[in-house]
Amino acid sequence: MRDILLVGAPNSGKSALFNRLTGLKHKVANYPGITIDVGKGHLVSDTNVSLWDFPGTYSLTAVSGEEQVAIDNLRCALNDDREAVIAMVLDATRLEKGLTYCLQVAREAARSKKTFIVLLNMMDIIENDDLELDIAGLQAALGVPVFPVSARTGNGVNTAEQAMVSGEFDLPPWAETPDVLISGSAQQIGDRFSPKGDLLVRRQARLDHWLLGTVSGGIAFVSIMTLFFQAIFTWAAPLMDGVEAVVLSMGGLVASVMPSGMAADFINDAIFGGLGAFLVFVPLVFILTLIIGALEDSGYLARAALICHRPLSYFGLSGKSFVPLLSGVACAIPAIYAARTMSSMQERLLTYVAIPLMPCSARLPVYALLIAILIPDGTFFGGLIGWQGLAMSAIYFFGISTALLVAALVSRLGNDNRRGQPFILELPAYRVPIARPILRSALNRAWHFVRKAGSVIFMVTIGVWILGYFPNGGEDLAGSWLASLGRFIEPVFEPLGLDWRYGVAIIASFLAREVFVGTLGTIFGIENADADPAPLADQIAASGLSAASGVALVVFFTIALQCVSTVALLAREAKSARFAITLMVGYFVLAWIVAWLVFVGSSALLS
Amino acid sequence: MTHVSHSVDAADSRSLWSLSVDERAYVAFVADHDGDNICQRLADMGFLAGRSVTCLVTPGFGAPRVYAVGGSTYSIDKRTAQLIRVVNERPA
Ligand SMILES: Nc1nc2c(ncn2[C@@H]2O[C@H](COP(=O)(O)OP(=O)(O)O)[C@@H](O)[C@H]2O)c(=O)[nH]1
Repeated sequence: MRDILLVGAPNSGKSALFNRLTGLKHKVANYPGITIDVGKGHLVSDTNVSLWDFPGTYSLTAVSGEEQVAIDNLRCALNDDREAVIAMVLDATRLEKGLTYCLQVAREAARSKKTFIVLLNMMDIIENDDLELDIAGLQAALGVPVFPVSARTGNGVNTAEQAMVSGEFDLPPWAETPDVLISGSAQQIGDRFSPKGDLLVRRQARLDHWLLGTVSGGIAFVSIMTLFFQAIFTWAAPLMDGVEAVVLSMGGLVASVMPSGMAADFINDAIFGGLGAFLVFVPLVFILTLIIGALEDSGYLARAALICHRPLSYFGLSGKSFVPLLSGVACAIPAIYAARTMSSMQERLLTYVAIPLMPCSARLPVYALLIAILIPDGTFFGGLIGWQGLAMSAIYFFGISTALLVAALVSRLGNDNRRGQPFILELPAYRVPIARPILRSALNRAWHFVRKAGSVIFMVTIGVWILGYFPNGGEDLAGSWLASLGRFIEPVFEPLGLDWRYGVAIIASFLAREVFVGTLGTIFGIENADADPAPLADQIAASGLSAASGVALVVFFTIALQCVSTVALLAREAKSARFAITLMVGYFVLAWIVAWLVFVGSSALLS
Repeated sequence: MTHVSHSVDAADSRSLWSLSVDERAYVAFVADHDGDNICQRLADMGFLAGRSVTCLVTPGFGAPRVYAVGGSTYSIDKRTAQLIRVVNERPA
């Protein structure tokens, strides 16, 4: 059976076509003989036929090392001696954009005797707007079969599919054409056959005037991002609470039918506790993917990147990092997924470096506790502004600045001192998003998280449970292995004025930062410290924690990568466990050093 | 170092960034930025000598601007836009 290779420029609708042809069922797989992962699916109409979705590029000439790898691999697949059909997706409304690439690939196909066809996509727009497009003429000029299709309506897709599966066509007449003639011909064909007039461009521009205008664009941007941010908190929070409640009560139920003892404790606390630890992220990943998918499909995501580009470029980041970083203020997990919209791995890695430093919501309970210990509950300006609230803002500001500064530092170190990459971004047309593929990809991503990160998180949770449970059967945390470990590492935290109890809480908080509060609660014998930190704060203050140590703890938590879920997912997404571990160790060391400096400084100040 | 290969006199041309909103010009040439293939990428995207290019939006605060060329719309930052040289009349 022949394989079908789908190629095309970004935004040509290649993914939309791929989804339509494969019925949204696909996975990441390895094309024989090449080293990068590409999307693979099977035709709905004939599951024997494999469809391969190659990464979108603008031509066979790379502009970055990373693109070079993708293109080398594509060339490799184009030139092997397998029987394959190359289908080039062109956007009929933006024909010029893909033609050089089209002819370059046609030449490779001709040389390796592969069937080559063009799928002329977005024909629904051409038809709706009564634009003129001479398909027969285009076909003659290109010398290859051209099939008008619409991935959105499905028109023409069946005919094209038939042709790909069983059509026999002459080889493209470009086998011997030199490069200059390829680009010259592409330019001529583009000038001659592109839909005339600038109706579509004008229509987009009217919207862009609004959405990118200095005042109106600013208002639109802030509103959309506020909505986005609210959605994460207000829509996902009840779902997360729901998931947690269900998992907990299931654990309770199972444990209640078992004789009490270690087995019941293990099932309730370790197994269901561990399940809960990563399942709570699933609604967050799902909702965020949904919203980002809708933003991307609507065309707004590219505009948001444009708006944010200049300020972020000072820190070596690109405008495309904005949405991932903003998501990071809620939680690093969906933020790491959000970075998938960035096509350059180099830019993506830098964003990964910044994300764990963003003040995520799991740090909030930790900050709330420490602020309650450190800052008196007073107000000023007639009660308008509270000291504690101000302290919280200062901590957030510190976290975000650290994220940006570290990104700037890393990009300066890693790069050849140029300020960021050149910014050339195609602005896709504004469109009404289509629900089904977006829903599907949100589901896929949630499932991906469960499968790929779940096991690590689960295992670490069980490990920490075992440390806390033995040797005395969970009776007394202070006598557990975890406490021994806390005492063993006490010298690490001693310079910050912190004893073993904080060491234990810090180790336990690696499961999720908020566990810090509950663990200290257990150690200090305060029930329900998670829900109401005030009694615990009083107890800790009374125990003689110095203000300098308290501030050091705040600083430590703003920087340290204390989150197993983030580390597990980073290793997956960056395809490098080394990267994730380096980041974790590096941020621990940095957190410690900055906390120590702050401790020494504030001890001197306060004494 | 910047070197150029083109038929139009560099002195007659100006940078794409100098276009104001709704102003149209014609691509004269794209200066080759040292070391990378930006020139090539811009050509692949449609910035070819003789093509007409229109500035659509100039957002404030030095943000990348929006240009239409060959039916597509791109946003380009200042540094890159300055590599693209344009002239007022379509080159012969
Ligand atoms: N109107 C219309 N929109 C389409 C069509 N095909 C894709 N799109 C939209 O074009 C945008 C880019 O499509 P996508 O498949 O992500 O492009 P890719 O970058 O080539 O994979 C998305 O907003 C799609 O919904 C089509 O045939 N007609």
